[in-house]
Amino acid sequence: MNPRATKIAINIGSGLLPGLDLVLAGAALAADGLGIEVVGIRDGYDGLLYPERYREGGLVPLRPGIADTAGRGGSLIGVAARTDPFRVRTITPENQVDEVDRSDDVLEALRAAGIDAVISVVGGSAITGLHALSVAFKLHRKGLRTVCVPKSVENEIASVPQALGYNSVLSHTAEMLERIRTGAQDIGRLAVVEVPGQHAGWLALQSGMAALADAVLLPEIPYDLAKVASTLADHEGVGRRPALVVVAEGARPVAGGATAAPDAGGLRASLTPNADPEFGEGEHVIDRTGAAAKSVALALQRLTERDVLPFSLGHLVRGGASTALDRQLALAYGAGAVRALHAGEDGVMVTFQPPDLKTIPLRETLNRIRTVPAESELMHIARALGIAFGDQGEVRP
Amino acid sequence: MSPASTGATPLTGRVLNIQHFCTNDGPGIRTTVFLKGCSLRCKWCCNPESIHPKPELAFDLKKCIGEKECGLCLKECPENAIYVSDADGKVRINWDLCTNCGKCVPVCPPEALYEFGREMTVDEVLAEVEQDASFYRESGGGITLSGGECTLQPDFSAALLAEAHRRGINTAIETAGNVPWEFFQRVLEHVDTVLHDHKLSDPARHMQWVGVDNVRIKANFQRAYEAFPEKTFIARTPVIPGVNDDEEHIRTVLAFIRPYKNVINYQLLPYHRYGESKYGFLGRVYALKDFPSLPADTLRRLQGIIDEAFGRATDAKTASA
Repeated sequence: MNPRATKIAINIGSGLLPGLDLVLAGAALAADGLGIEVVGIRDGYDGLLYPERYREGGLVPLRPGIADTAGRGGSLIGVAARTDPFRVRTITPENQVDEVDRSDDVLEALRAAGIDAVISVVGGSAITGLHALSVAFKLHRKGLRTVCVPKSVENEIASVPQALGYNSVLSHTAEMLERIRTGAQDIGRLAVVEVPGQHAGWLALQSGMAALADAVLLPEIPYDLAKVASTLADHEGVGRRPALVVVAEGARPVAGGATAAPDAGGLRASLTPNADPEFGEGEHVIDRTGAAAKSVALALQRLTERDVLPFSLGHLVRGGASTALDRQLALAYGAGAVRALHAGEDGVMVTFQPPDLKTIPLRETLNRIRTVPAESELMHIARALGIAFGDQGEVRP
Repeated sequence: MSPASTGATPLTGRVLNIQHFCTNDGPGIRTTVFLKGCSLRCKWCCNPESIHPKPELAFDLKKCIGEKECGLCLKECPENAIYVSDADGKVRINWDLCTNCGKCVPVCPPEALYEFGREMTVDEVLAEVEQDASFYRESGGGITLSGGECTLQPDFSAALLAEAHRRGINTAIETAGNVPWEFFQRVLEHVDTVLHDHKLSDPARHMQWVGVDNVRIKANFQRAYEAFPEKTFIARTPVIPGVNDDEEHIRTVLAFIRPYKNVINYQLLPYHRYGESKYGFLGRVYALKDFPSLPADTLRRLQGIIDEAFGRATDAKTASA
């Protein structure tokens, strides 16, 4: 059994989401009741690595009073931009830029500040994905007492059915989709809207269902736009006006399907062995914001008589206030993480599994992604609602 | 055996790649040898795999045949940094746990896992380069050392270029100049054409976008112009929208280079995104992901200023990157 923590620090990994300040409030309230002191580390680990950059020294005391103003959005203590304590960019005495491991400095700074455990709010976005979780895991491996709180736009964290912030982003996304669909339907156009979701299509699927999209393209199911176009025609046939196609940013076409073929890439690309003709020049490369919507819209335009308009929601849906569910979740995750540390837990992540708040070992969530199962009941229901996925299993309405 | 590689242990360099038939890396058709290791961190870098001096793991998802068919890498990784995605059954790399030990590379049959960078001798490099020898004679081309920063390996670069000269091959380097003068000097002695970057004029903005200021770089260039009057220097700027696509930068560079007759040209290289997919292979994020492309009229306007300074008629055509 670990000795009880007396001073806890909290930091937040990259990726803003609604409700982060409420996690801090939840932790401060729970800690106060247990006689534990809580501080926030500014901007991930920067508050420890560069205390001189901050007027208050990089660590912010978090007292119960913050609960009075929390819930308005933002993160209060900042999120880690790109600082990784294991690869900190420095300028060497030889005036060269280099990345060095400063994880020992982080551990030493924590010791010097009398902090005996850290709560890391982790998870969040595209390629960096669970980068903050991996960093927390490595620090834990070096002896730091750690409890993680899951947050995510994609809700893709393994063993975590409800990551913080997902419900708010879903709500904002569905509201935007509904507005776009109404507008597009009215003027007889087809909107192709890209939403966050590099690895998992939960957000595209659930927001698409909520806004009654005609088609939803997921990272999990390679799409054939000819099939999507045929569903759109079917919708017209039964008197529905197709107006909305939702595309997760990580959605990919099936090999050989009707897609916007990227330009082979010119002379240089064809002459250089390292250049990949599938990428070539231009923007059909990795996750350039809006690229998925653009390429789908272009290809779909050839297959439909309606004017097609691409949109990208991207960062528009990540800010703002929390939904009631996320407010409750944020406060519970903050308080739950403090209680877990107080109970002597270490190297775990809190996860809400109603009516319980459970903890799972970090190893169980590391290196796994929670994706949408193609054969789930949710997918069958979506098909029953007439939503096309561009695959084999289309059901005519 | 060539003089460059005699001795008990032949001199080797960390080579990233050798590209044939390059037309933008100096006069004529050239073979460009990319060396690994760079002392800068330009946010627009199109060769991210060249930055770190040591060999690095790269992963091409499209080539992976999946855990069911293969799965050999999963057993090999001592760090548990390789895992399987439920979505497609193929593996992924946790780049934060990967230590670049390279144990997974030889066991990967489709070569989805591979390594950027290997040690090569001067003779090995030149054997590859000389395959294109007939093109050099026809076009006035030769070998170009690029990077990374080729002058960070001064012994290897100097030996390679000296041996190329001995074999009658024209030599060029692409350099950003952020190295000790001794390194720079040692390499320049064996170079015919020096393609060198003036990325940003203002030291603070240079620091912001490139990682260090440009004080030593400018000092090195000025000293090189004066110390090597017989060499050909070509100044270049990778033009990045909103970063250095302003007239002030172009005019500052022109004021810096025009007093020297051996700086024969100033080329603009419009920002492109060739490097973007390679960031994905390395599990890194491209900082300029959502940057716009450079408008053609901006490029024409900046090129006009350069043509005027060099006393040429303005040409609508500009150098392409």
